[in-house]
Amino acid sequence: MPPKILIMGELYWAKRDAEELLSGIADVISMESQSRDELFKDFASGGRYSDIVGIYHEHLSDKRTGHPDEEFFNALPTSCKWFAHKGAGYDSVAVHSAKARGIGVSNTPGAVDEATATTGVFLLIATMRRFSWCEANLRSGGFNPKGVEESARDLSGKTVGILGMGGIGLKMVSYIQPFGCEILYHNRRPNALAPSNVRYVADLYDFLGQLDVLMVSMPLNEKTRGFVGEKEIRAMRKGSIIINTARGPVIDEEAMIQALQDGHLGSVGLDVFVKEPQVDQRLIGMPHVTLLPHVGTENQDARRKMEVVALTNLREFLLTGTGPNLVPECR
Amino acid sequence: MSKPQVLIAANPQNGIVWSKEEQNSKLGAVAEVLELTSSSREEFYKDLSSGGKYANIVGIYRHNDSASAIGIFDKDLIEHLPKSVKYIAHNGAGYDQIDIAAATAKGIEVSHTPGAVDAATATVGAFLAISAMRQFYRAEVNVRNGQWKSGLSPARDPEEKVLGIIGMGGIGKALARRLIAFDMKVIYHNRNEITPPPDFPCTYIPNVEDLLKQSDIVSLNLPLNDKTKGSFGKKQFDQMKDGSVLVNTARGAVVDEEALLQALDSGKLFSAGLDVFPDEPNVNPKLLQNDKITVLPHMGTETRDSQKKMEILVLDNLVSALSGKGLLNQVPEQKK
Repeated sequence: MPPKILIMGELYWAKRDAEELLSGIADVISMESQSRDELFKDFASGGRYSDIVGIYHEHLSDKRTGHPDEEFFNALPTSCKWFAHKGAGYDSVAVHSAKARGIGVSNTPGAVDEATATTGVFLLIATMRRFSWCEANLRSGGFNPKGVEESARDLSGKTVGILGMGGIGLKMVSYIQPFGCEILYHNRRPNALAPSNVRYVADLYDFLGQLDVLMVSMPLNEKTRGFVGEKEIRAMRKGSIIINTARGPVIDEEAMIQALQDGHLGSVGLDVFVKEPQVDQRLIGMPHVTLLPHVGTENQDARRKMEVVALTNLREFLLTGTGPNLVPECR
Repeated sequence: MSKPQVLIAANPQNGIVWSKEEQNSKLGAVAEVLELTSSSREEFYKDLSSGGKYANIVGIYRHNDSASAIGIFDKDLIEHLPKSVKYIAHNGAGYDQIDIAAATAKGIEVSHTPGAVDAATATVGAFLAISAMRQFYRAEVNVRNGQWKSGLSPARDPEEKVLGIIGMGGIGKALARRLIAFDMKVIYHNRNEITPPPDFPCTYIPNVEDLLKQSDIVSLNLPLNDKTKGSFGKKQFDQMKDGSVLVNTARGAVVDEEALLQALDSGKLFSAGLDVFPDEPNVNPKLLQNDKITVLPHMGTETRDSQKKMEILVLDNLVSALSGKGLLNQVPEQKK
């Protein structure tokens, strides 16, 4: 009998890829459990999923069965040794619990880079040029909003700082360069893949003080929660801008809102928030910011790529015992 | 000998906005600078006539904002300019508000501000292309209405699409450079192939129809004049790929608006990104109600940085001409 792979969620774009990647290697079954309780029963001895060897996890399924937290991993059958998460960010996955049980967790870096970087660059332009304000004004019967010329700035010659130079950061660099910005970055260590004209700044506050725009591109974990806080925001210049396409909680949202209200920050461009899908009303009340509903990868090509990477990790696990995108915490 | 007189015909309230210092130091060094105070065309004509305060002006700094007081520089207005006028230095790359033929007939040389607008306008074009493909306007409306992702369908990637540029001038090239970074393939149509070719990969397409058939995104980057007015209409939309995107940062009147609305309704166009409209600041409500497109109120160069660059270039054109060195950026029609 071929090993069983459980699909938690839907395959929207990669059904055919799934057939190609897994047929002959695995039996692919769709999760039918309607609740967390039912799922845990299904995992338990004698249950219909008690012999699965791997899981494909799509986060929308969490609506039915909750997040893959410690309790979830402890409920898994011992046969299950791989958890392929669809998404680059995996802060909702209890990776330490997985590791403790010898379960490999993979994510889908790379697959999200272009779409997320494009979203970041869109937010960069929209906020520098105050385009959300302009479009809203136009659609409600006005034309150029009064005073926009004072706050709207060219990108040419401005300094953009990327916080977190991973795959997405590198993609943002290549997208931003033709706009004539000077690009700096701060990272735990310099990234050898960064182009030579992109300067690494080792000291965080030295970095922040030089920027017209900060683009946040770090993963969310215990070390990075609230990383961009009151002190960091005030280290930036008056009128500067923060863009966040990473995770809401990397920024102290309260400090950020205060800084917008007192004019220290000129604008923010956010695709992510602290308590999605809720968005702080104070942000919604600000015409001069740009807000998106976590659509970083909300397009057909990125979604399919992500699904394929997750499926490929399962395939490689089944064939070789491990997948190419094992998260660092599980190594 | 007294300095030649120059009239600043810009915003009726503010005049030149970001470069008053240079207006005084640079232009003031070679000219006596007069500000426009006429509040109507009729009053302007009086001020221009013999004995009026502008009767001896030699040069004019012109900004489109002056039209709200005295109207555009059409044949009638130009014919009312005193014989002393030799130069009209226009603030803007597009100069469709000036009747060049009438100016030429009166021996008046006209300049504009190419180059100074390229980066800012191309950035708008890139923004519109990305926003249209990714459907970001709708997404933002959703957030602001408390709906998050509800009702949104996955959008499209701008990456690796074919970008067809109609008009590969300064702005077209700046746009190409920005979007090539997104792995777009650039094809272009121009009156003539550009030689030597631009310093980025692109393919010249001699026939507009072929360009339209191949493009996922079509960007209009050509000037508005008698030849181009209404030149993008039903025939052109029919030739476009199904589900393609139109970006317009040129002039609204290049496009037949009825045909555009049709193309949006029929789904021929997946989306559009528009910064310009035929009758600004009035915009067709059908466009304003369409949440699948992205629209901006002619923001091409609406930043203090670009505005200042353009103002300085106009002043430099006047200073150069008044110093006997001729205009720096005379319009192409007059350079033959």
